Amino acid sequence: MVIKPHRIDLEMFEGPLDLLLFLIKRDELNIYDIPIAQITKDFLNFVDLAKELKLHSAGDFVLMAATLMKIKARMLLPIEADGDDEIEDPRTELMNMLLEYKRYKEAAGAFENMERKERPHYYHIPPSWNPKQEDQTALLEDVKLYDIMLTFQYLLKNYEEPSTHAVAVDEVTLSEQAGFLNGLLQAKTSLSFSSLLEKFESRLIIVVTFLAILEMLRSHQIKIKQTKLFDDLLISRGTKFGS
Amino acid sequence: MDLNHLKQIVEALLIATPEPLTQTRFKLCMGDDIVDIPLPEIIDALQMEYKESGRAFSIKEVAGGFQIATNAEYEPHVKGLFTKSGKLRLSQAALETLAIVSYRQPVTRNDIEAIRGVSSDSSLRTLLDRKLLEIRGRDEGPGRALLYRTSAEFLQYFGLNSVQDLPKLREVEDLLSEEPEELV
Repeated sequence: MVIKPHRIDLEMFEGPLDLLLFLIKRDELNIYDIPIAQITKDFLNFVDLAKELKLHSAGDFVLMAATLMKIKARMLLPIEADGDDEIEDPRTELMNMLLEYKRYKEAAGAFENMERKERPHYYHIPPSWNPKQEDQTALLEDVKLYDIMLTFQYLLKNYEEPSTHAVAVDEVTLSEQAGFLNGLLQAKTSLSFSSLLEKFESRLIIVVTFLAILEMLRSHQIKIKQTKLFDDLLISRGTKFGS
Repeated sequence: MDLNHLKQIVEALLIATPEPLTQTRFKLCMGDDIVDIPLPEIIDALQMEYKESGRAFSIKEVAGGFQIATNAEYEPHVKGLFTKSGKLRLSQAALETLAIVSYRQPVTRNDIEAIRGVSSDSSLRTLLDRKLLEIRGRDEGPGRALLYRTSAEFLQYFGLNSVQDLPKLREVEDLLSEEPEELV
């Protein structure tokens, strides 16, 4: 009989597939002929523990438990062999998932080795000043979508809704806000996102305006610059401005 | 221009460059000057010089270019410069997520979670924050989910020249044929 540790730290597993691979290894089970009844029983013990610990990923474990029980039930049913159709083992899908996950888990191990090998090397990183940067509005060329999202989240968080008077639901549309921005940019060559924020009284309008900005950015009607992360967004005319 | 002069110029570029020095960037820096020695050859000559004179750094070939990095033996001291934001190790969850993205890019969050069988939101966030991953467009399918790819910083972090240098992902048949004892 295999001596099983009666308590295993569930947090050491990356998820239900990781746990299943562990159980398969521990009990020296055959991955393509998994004894479903046994592994379901063992797995359920862990799931109870997961629920008890209120683990963040408990839901994923419960889902896998349900899948295991479904497979177990299907294995118990008599197989109706009609025609020449090959009968699929109910465990096939699970097996494929386990094998696929195992490949990447192994790759993650290789990544860890590469990381360990690279860790002791430090690169020269020049100070953050940039000789080409002549004025305050000079741009950080590679503003990524993620940076814009972060900035928006940050600005929205710091934006306090005026609480002095009741705000009625504003019916604003994307095209209205796009037109509004267009008008502003006709009068001025550039404007900052924070200056826009001051003009609006509700989050709804700000969100719609932000969507309008993204849409206009996509169609090259405007350009966006940012000097550093979380900094204000500077909006100016794009190559297809006004079209 | 002779090799000695070119060596000095390349050395200056390597000291000042914020990212790996590529062939393209090198050409740009050289402007109209005639360079009849290929960059890798100049790099080799410099590398040799550093080695012979026992410098504490060497030139690494990463992310499609060249960059100077300190040698491994000085880590215990150099890391003191980065006490706060220094080199943190990636978690197992982050490594798995990164592995899936690097072999299957571009991928959606759903693709990643289907393989890992567990929510991967926070590891994706960590990897984006550390700039090892980036968002590159949206999926064509329903919901137009965001697509993730590895970045140039990813290559540098793992000391790779390109994604082609990644270790080969094992074939499923290969996994099937192994003995149970070797699992995991």
